[in-house]
Amino acid sequence: MIDKSIPTDLTAARRLTEEILSLTVASGYNEDDRFAIRLSLEEALINAIKHGNNFEPAKKVRVSADVGAKQTTITVCDEGAGFNPASVPDPTTDENLEKPSGRGIMLMRAYMDEVSYNDHGNEVRMTKRRCTGLPHLAGHN
Amino acid sequence: MTNSSHNTPLTMDVTKRGNAVVLTVTGSVSMSDAENLQEKLEQLAAERTPIIILDLKGMDFICSVGLGAIIVGHLKCRHHAGQVRLARPAASVRELLETTRLTKLFDIYDSVEEALAKK
Repeated sequence: MIDKSIPTDLTAARRLTEEILSLTVASGYNEDDRFAIRLSLEEALINAIKHGNNFEPAKKVRVSADVGAKQTTITVCDEGAGFNPASVPDPTTDENLEKPSGRGIMLMRAYMDEVSYNDHGNEVRMTKRRCTGLPHLAGHN
Repeated sequence: MTNSSHNTPLTMDVTKRGNAVVLTVTGSVSMSDAENLQEKLEQLAAERTPIIILDLKGMDFICSVGLGAIIVGHLKCRHHAGQVRLARPAASVRELLETTRLTKLFDIYDSVEEALAKK
């Protein structure tokens, strides 16, 4: 279990991402699950650092990660004013395809099994259930 | 256990092929690397390169900021009727392009040669 506050800083975020991904490797998650967790974690951290904390160095991002045998749950909380995730336009519509940003929430929802926000809109909690094709069970499926 | 294996360093290599440029992207385009990719694409666009082919065979990860960098390159190229084409994305990256529907914005090719040959 990881529970840390990091500065609003891409290098610190990158270091923490590495730490959490190492746990998924140690727990035997497959490549697809690791890609999904990595992508969603990066998107949550980008949103927290850029949109939540506005790159303000005095603010912190709190991250908890529980990498278990069956699933991984990650919570990312910033010190920003929060937002309404329902107000974010769908980046996959034709009129939004050429927008360079706005894909983070959609990607978290696409790659994780559960994604939810607190009422304040400054904390995202997401869960990835481990792929059922566990290597040690492969012969039994 | 080492921590260094997840974020493989981003490297970019430019090769001129006729009127096109092949930008070979290797490694991870994570949040802290996307700016470098965008700068490179903006530089190629500023040189009015008619066709930029991104050879993605060695790119193992890209986040939404990295996708945004490619879109910025595409928009800048359009100023001079140029094009950005994507070649040889890994399965995970291709899936990401499909999930975001960027396959509608970019032509994706199975080889660099195919991307070069397209009129």
